[in-house]
Amino acid sequence: MSTSDQLTVTVDGVELQVAPGTTVLQAAKRAEAWIPTLCFDDRQAPFGACRVCMVAVQGAPKPLPACTTPCRDQMVIDTDDATSRRVATAVVELVVSELPQAPDPHTELGQIAERLEVTDTRWPGDTHHEGHDFRHPYLAFQHELCISCGRCVRACDEVQGAFALTATGRGFESNVTAGLNAGFEDSTCVSCGACADTCPTDAITEITLLDGVVRERSRNGNDPGRRKRRRIASE
Amino acid sequence: MSQNVVELIRRHHGVQAPSALEVLKEAVEDHGELTDDDRRRAAEVSGMPEAAVYGVSTFYDDLLVHRGERHVRVCSGTACFAATGDEHVRAIESELGVKLGERSPDGTVSLVETVCLGFCHSSPAVRDGETIDAGPGMVARVRDAGCVAAAEPPWRSLLASPVLTVAGEWAGLRRALTELGPDALLEQVEAAKVRGRGGAGFPAGTKWRFTKQAANPEKFIVANGDEGDPGSYIDKYLMEQNPNLLLEGLALAGFAVGARHGFVLTRSEYPLSKPALDEAIARAREDGWLGADILGSGFDFEVTIIEGAGSYVVGEETALLACLQGLRGTVSARPPFPAERGAFNRPTVVNNVETLCNMGFIAAHGADAYAALSPDTETNGSKLVCFNERFVSPTVYEVPFGMSVRELCEDVAGGLRDGRSIKALQIGGPLGGILPASKLDTAFDFDALAAEGCMVGHGSILAFDDQTDMREVATHLLRFGAHESCGKCFPCRIGLRRAHDEFASDQRVQRERFEQLLEALELGSLCAHGGGIPAPMRSLLAHFPDELDLT
Repeated sequence: MSTSDQLTVTVDGVELQVAPGTTVLQAAKRAEAWIPTLCFDDRQAPFGACRVCMVAVQGAPKPLPACTTPCRDQMVIDTDDATSRRVATAVVELVVSELPQAPDPHTELGQIAERLEVTDTRWPGDTHHEGHDFRHPYLAFQHELCISCGRCVRACDEVQGAFALTATGRGFESNVTAGLNAGFEDSTCVSCGACADTCPTDAITEITLLDGVVRERSRNGNDPGRRKRRRIASE
Repeated sequence: MSQNVVELIRRHHGVQAPSALEVLKEAVEDHGELTDDDRRRAAEVSGMPEAAVYGVSTFYDDLLVHRGERHVRVCSGTACFAATGDEHVRAIESELGVKLGERSPDGTVSLVETVCLGFCHSSPAVRDGETIDAGPGMVARVRDAGCVAAAEPPWRSLLASPVLTVAGEWAGLRRALTELGPDALLEQVEAAKVRGRGGAGFPAGTKWRFTKQAANPEKFIVANGDEGDPGSYIDKYLMEQNPNLLLEGLALAGFAVGARHGFVLTRSEYPLSKPALDEAIARAREDGWLGADILGSGFDFEVTIIEGAGSYVVGEETALLACLQGLRGTVSARPPFPAERGAFNRPTVVNNVETLCNMGFIAAHGADAYAALSPDTETNGSKLVCFNERFVSPTVYEVPFGMSVRELCEDVAGGLRDGRSIKALQIGGPLGGILPASKLDTAFDFDALAAEGCMVGHGSILAFDDQTDMREVATHLLRFGAHESCGKCFPCRIGLRRAHDEFASDQRVQRERFEQLLEALELGSLCAHGGGIPAPMRSLLAHFPDELDLT
């Protein structure tokens, strides 16, 4: 170990000191290196599900996930490694393939897809079943947009402590639901909005007063503007 | 795995509350399908939030079915596939008049597929109610509602002094408690270099050492009895025919690392495992080998058997711990490793059943005697291997490491029956590479198999005969892979479904795109499931490209 209790790591050629327990992703952020993430939210414990934050670590036989890998002293990290980026791009292409429509450009998923230049998918096939929960006054859930990143479930558990959400199903049929699958309204949801705030795809959105107006206008055939609201209005 | 939910469970566990999964399993046994009232009750008694219980109820195969008065489970594991090409599945659907996953409108009969019943020596297999039937005439017996329990061939040992295939007599635990003490025991286990027998081959002594060093004084030992690998029935034999050996291994691990409680997670596809172990525990307690103050040593040790509910990935250690606590059997990223934070957030040793069954011998005879069991190779100890129904003499055999695969297939198991020849073998389970007949002279050992893209894995040796269509093999393995994906990591969750759909179609497979997908699975997956399915796919691409219809 270098000085005191600090670890020395190098991210894309930049050397920095980090405290023990720092993850590779945290170190990379401090070095201002960009690593794509989908299941990560710095308010939550790392989850390691999306596998798009892969990076190369010198001496490691294969790419490692930045979010769940702790820094070691003298670690040399390459966030722009071609193999890691190829895996991330392949995964984002798969994610795009499970959605019934291209991700909205303003969402985290949309932005990462754009930056990784995933404009389309070569994987035709089933997309998620459409399923909507629009009964709650403040929260709307469009299950077909869910990519099972688990951020909403963890926000509800770790941030709010309401335990109103759960992952459901298995494999490709995985999704998220509230309570006993009867919607937010019939769950222990406290309407805090932490789930909508963290959702990277707009599967869960907050309904604002304006949305009510938009919905009303939509019924009259007017263009509601932003796509996220248009999808809600289409119900 | 939510640390908050685990903490809620831990508090309830402390007062002997059943897990949510146990409550849900009982409800299905009782009235055939789950209701929201069942879920609410499971939440109440287990301490889990209702939403989390709902998540559990949608994860496990056993909880998803709507059972009829007669519930039939047909095995679609790889040995059964190798025997009939799944013809037995279609025939049973036709005879019963219900499709897989359905219950007849009048509620009299329901049919599901299951992987796998561990009767790979007598494929094809079926479980009709509580009876497991297998072999020729099985479909007709299902049709006539006259299933009979299939026999299980006795195991055999090639060793002059068998280790795993003779009944455990607790000599190792006696010596550990009265002569060695915990530190010398751990040193012997480390010196014996016992490699995990469940697939990964990780040194067991290292896991024990890490757990012993972990700060929390409350620790657990967990035996991974979730031998889900289709084609393997080794741990089944050990748990059902030699349970003392496993209980002794658990107690030794507990003594070495300072744990007072062990668990075995068994499979619901092996309905005889839990009763056999429970009976052995009762006997061991009577005889003073389990319980308080064993042999007057001051060492207390208890063992609890928990049965799963139908999920292959639960064989992965973090998913196993989730299942043990009644949670969804999804994989968690490591670190933290179980040795640091495992069952109930406590330091935990997770060892495969066969791995633990080696410990009695090491404690009784020492590391040198253990190394001498396989004189021709670096790998120590003996290994159980098992063969599928295509062979003349399929059963479980105890063998030394280092024999050639050919010797095992031809001399030990007698070659293939009915004049058939071996086209290829899948060794060690569905995540193992496929060894073509031209490579049968490969040594049966960790490194030699790895060099061919294969693995020792669980030790199953499964033959595909000369009439097998290798594209169908690929489709079969991908179907299993996609169905069993826990859904946590993205490459496995989506990628295996896409790969399966492409192979199952009548289209040519786009090789470049498929190989890019394999890379994303190999390098990106969270666990060995998504990371391992590419191994047999790579073998098929290397050895049977012409049969895959590639473009």
